[in-house]
Order: sequence, then C-alpha cells, then structure tokens
Amino acid sequence: MEAPPCRQLGELQPEQERSSSAVVGLSLCDSAPLLWRIQDLKTVRSSGLVGALLGALPRTPRQNIRLGRPLLLLPEEERLLRERHSAAALPARNQDAVGTELQQRYEEEEQRSYEEQSILALEDRRSALLRAMTSSSGSECGAGSDEALQGRLLALGQNFTFPRSALAVQLSTARAGLSHCQEARAFLQADWPIREQDSPRREARYQVFRDLRGRGFFLTSAGKFGGDFLVYPGDPLRFHAHFIAVCLTLDESICMLDVLCVARLGSNVKKTVLLCSPAPDGPVHYTSLQWSGMV
Amino acid sequence: MSGASDGAEGSAEKAAPANWILQHPTYQQMQQLQVEDSEQIYTAFLVYMDLTEVRRWKEVSCVRSPELQVVLLEAREKDGAPAHTVLPLPVHRRLSHRSVRHVLDRGLPMLLCAVASDSTLVYQRMTDGLVTPDPPVGPFEDLGRRQHRKRRQQR
Repeated sequence: MEAPPCRQLGELQPEQERSSSAVVGLSLCDSAPLLWRIQDLKTVRSSGLVGALLGALPRTPRQNIRLGRPLLLLPEEERLLRERHSAAALPARNQDAVGTELQQRYEEEEQRSYEEQSILALEDRRSALLRAMTSSSGSECGAGSDEALQGRLLALGQNFTFPRSALAVQLSTARAGLSHCQEARAFLQADWPIREQDSPRREARYQVFRDLRGRGFFLTSAGKFGGDFLVYPGDPLRFHAHFIAVCLTLDESICMLDVLCVARLGSNVKKTVLLCSPAPDGPVHYTSLQWSGMV
Repeated sequence: MSGASDGAEGSAEKAAPANWILQHPTYQQMQQLQVEDSEQIYTAFLVYMDLTEVRRWKEVSCVRSPELQVVLLEAREKDGAPAHTVLPLPVHRRLSHRSVRHVLDRGLPMLLCAVASDSTLVYQRMTDGLVTPDPPVGPFEDLGRRQHRKRRQQR
C-alpha cells in the first residue's frame, strides 16, 4: 500500500495553523486534568506545553522510559490553557453505563473468537491425526485401517473441547481512552469545576510559569531535582534543562541549609538554580545561584 | 569573658585566644556600625579573616546594610578585579528573596557566605537574572550501539 509521504506533510501544515485556535478537551480524573486524544496532545505540544505521559504502552510494559496516553497537565499548564480559553472539560459520561457497554461488547467478541478458534483447533487435530495414522499404517491393507481411522476421527470430534486457557486474545491498542468522546462541540459549554484553593506559593508558581513560558522556555515538573520546574531553552526532546526553578514569594523566609542544598545539587547536575519571585507590581525577579568556585 | 579584667599574666595569656577577636580593630569597627546582631557581627568577622588571611583578597571593608540590619563586606579578589559584596550569615538563619534582592541592588556581584558553628564557610554566588550554565565539556563521542551491546553482555 503506497502512502506518499509528501501528502502527509501537506496535511500536517493546515493542522498546525489551526492549532493556535483549537480547543482541547480535558478529561478530569478526580482533579487531575488528562488529555486522551492525539490531536489534543499535538495542539498542546505545539503551544509549548509539555505535560507528562502516564499510560503504559501495551507492547512495552513494565518500564518507565517510554509511556503512552493519557497526558497529565501541570496545574499551571491547565490554568494557562484555561486563561487563553483553549481548554474545556469534557462532560463526564456515566462511567457505569460505558463500562458495562464495553464489557458486554468485549465478552461477545471474545465468545465469537473462541468459537472460531475451536473450529480451527479441531481441524488442526484432525489433520494431525490423519497424518499420523496414514504414515504409521502405510504398510497395512486399506479397508481395516480406513474404518479405524474414521472411528478415531469421530471420537475426536465428539470428545474434543478447546480449553479456554488456550484462547488467543487480541488486545486493541488503538483505543482513545476510558471515555471515548465524540467530536460534538457540546463540551464548550462545560462548567469549570473549582478544585483547588489558591495559596501564595501556588500563585507565585503560576506567575513564574507564565513569565518563563512567555519568554519561550519549556517547563516541566522538577520533582527529581528538588525544585518546582525544570526550564528548557527549547523542546525537552532536543535540549537538556538549563535551570531548576524554585518559586517563592519575596518575603517568604527559607532556611540557608535549603539554599545550600539546592545550589549544590544544581551544580552537580550542571544546571543553574533560579530563585524566582513575582513582584506585586508585575515583573518576576530571578536570582541565579552558582557555585562560587571558592573551595 | 570577665577573665580580661585579671591583672595576672598567666590568666591573661590563657584568656588571649578568646579575647583577641574582641580587641581586633576590624571587629571593633564592625561593632561601631550599629548593627544589633552580635552573632552576625561575629560571623562577618570570621568571613573577614578568611578573605584577608586565607584567600588574601584585597581592599576588604565592612559596611552596614540598612535594609537587612547586618554587616556586609566588600572586597576584591585581586587588584583591578571587580568588587564583590559578601553577605555573611550563620547557617541556621533564614533568608528571604527580598533580602537577597536588596543586596543585589547594590550593583556589585554578590557572594553569600554561610558560616557553620565549627567555622566552616561556604560561598555561593548570586546573580540577578538567568545565567545559563556552562555547557558540558567535549570532545563528544557518539557511542552508537556500543553502549547497548555492553549492557547486554553484562546481563
């Protein structure tokens, strides 16, 4: 089957133009904002938001290097999308109804597959038996062995059961998510549930996120490095992070040991630690911590 | 340190190691800066001694920070080098970003010096803005499949 690659590229471009005004649909799992649809993931990445993939890939389970959908957004990423009116919550479908519907469909398909496979397995056994009998009775005379053969085949047909444990099961890997959604625009009317209370630290985090994103940096969460965000000069797939951003309010007091701790970690991993605080009048203050070189 | 008032030489000599700091001209200069925080003055003095005697920095002077109510030091690494502001603080103290900004506002490159109770000193450079870290040092070699093959063999 020929699929000319240039045509696919041509199709990509109008999608990218559309992505700046596209609205992504968020599936809310308790308070976690998830994206399931491929188009939504592309839209969000092209606007400079990275998120974190959470799903296991069926063909490569039991590893954490390459993960699949859904994409979990940072609270700051969700808030940024919301402020730009680029995201809305998908209506939560009745999970029970969807569940039983899917389960029923799956069980019917499995039963069909089982019946097909039983027939094929029986035929396999029959032809194996035939081969075995004709090769072993090659030297004997015809009629008696024919009757014996028919007898054995009949017995096989009556007694054969295909064990359920031998059933080959097909896993569908091209599934859109727990609640597969239609393209209807009804979700634009969704209400935004208020899930989190604001706190000064959270507000500071958001202001820093918005400022750095506005300067063109890509940000992901920095749990592994003891900071709030990892700051990349471009897409994380192409660059190493330059900064570990620690967000605080201007007047919050931090322990010197914590400053030394995070600064030391930063120099061990060749990243600059940034202390970031939004000023009340707008701009965000950044202070870079570096090893002094004075042993 | 009431031992200083003793007239006997023996006891004056034994008391000298503790007293010499109090009699040091720079320490007394720091005390006159009207900073109430005696612990911080002592810390600043330890940093002063490190900069002058150990690292031999030049033109080391002390100044009061009105916003933070602490003693700051100004010094140059060598003659002709740019002057630095050094903020000496005991390591168990807490610090706010606003205080750091006040010191940075002096316009000089800043060093934060954390002093532990055993007189261990750690200097941390603080700069305004986003300072890109130094890139990793080359030459770079594309390991290709060699690395994966090595791992497989180790299994």
